[in-house]
Amino acid sequence: MTWMHCLGALVQSASASQAVGAGRIVGGWEYVWAAYGITWAAIVVYTTSLIMRLRSAQESEDPR
Amino acid sequence: MANRVRWAFLIVALGMLVVGAYLALAWAPPDREMGDVQRIMYVHVPQLWMALLAMTLNFACSVIYLVRNSWKTDSLAEASAEVGVVFGAVGIALGSIWGRPTWGVWWAWDPRLTTAAILLVAYCGYLALRRFVDDPERRAVWSAVTAIVAYVDVPLIWYSVQWWRSLHQVQSSPRTVDPQMVLVLRWQSFAFLSLMVFYVWTRYLIAMATRRRELAMPAELSAPAPMQTSEVAR
Repeated sequence: MTWMHCLGALVQSASASQAVGAGRIVGGWEYVWAAYGITWAAIVVYTTSLIMRLRSAQESEDPR
Repeated sequence: MANRVRWAFLIVALGMLVVGAYLALAWAPPDREMGDVQRIMYVHVPQLWMALLAMTLNFACSVIYLVRNSWKTDSLAEASAEVGVVFGAVGIALGSIWGRPTWGVWWAWDPRLTTAAILLVAYCGYLALRRFVDDPERRAVWSAVTAIVAYVDVPLIWYSVQWWRSLHQVQSSPRTVDPQMVLVLRWQSFAFLSLMVFYVWTRYLIAMATRRRELAMPAELSAPAPMQTSEVAR
């Protein structure tokens, strides 16, 4: 094994250990933001919808 | 007092979700294989747990309705089904987003995904049935029977990853997962549980108001009398 092979193996192992810390899938934050955005949007929309529907139901029961 | 407690559930849920977003996005470590994409788990898994919990409540209320014929259990069944569909739809959408970078596809006809899709379709059918039948008595009985049949899919979803090993991973154990990840997942689960209590409670009040209006309808048609709320409490 030449010194070039040894150096190559060292570089490869160093980059592999870095990849373990960051995960094999690198990046992907756009998917994470999309997931959290959809969650918060759904919470806002459904909560607002429930509050408005309850108010409307209570008003139609007691229209004073 | 009850109204304040109901609102407290929403405030606690929103507060916990804000803290949970920080814990999930910045504090928890990235996964060894999936990296930062795994952070989707903290919103995907709790929402699907809440969907299954809501559908279990719907099943229990449907069984109780057939035994005891109470408008309260019928209204609670209606409320839990709608909330279950909302959590289920969002949870499945997030699973699809998570699947794209990890599996390379938005959707696959894997047993777990297929049974989850069937559940969503079945409960959408349940909600549609409730809208189409005008007679409250008949609607309650038919929808209770439909709910009991639809619930058969819930254990299939849970065990599908163990019975048919396919693309979706099996349930993780806290013993094999980083303690920080377990803590964030539990935090988010309690946040969504608090949110679910607020949702089911509020939707139940809407359903009860609708029942009271439906049952008071003949009296309203004959004379402008006040609503007979005592009928609802049977």
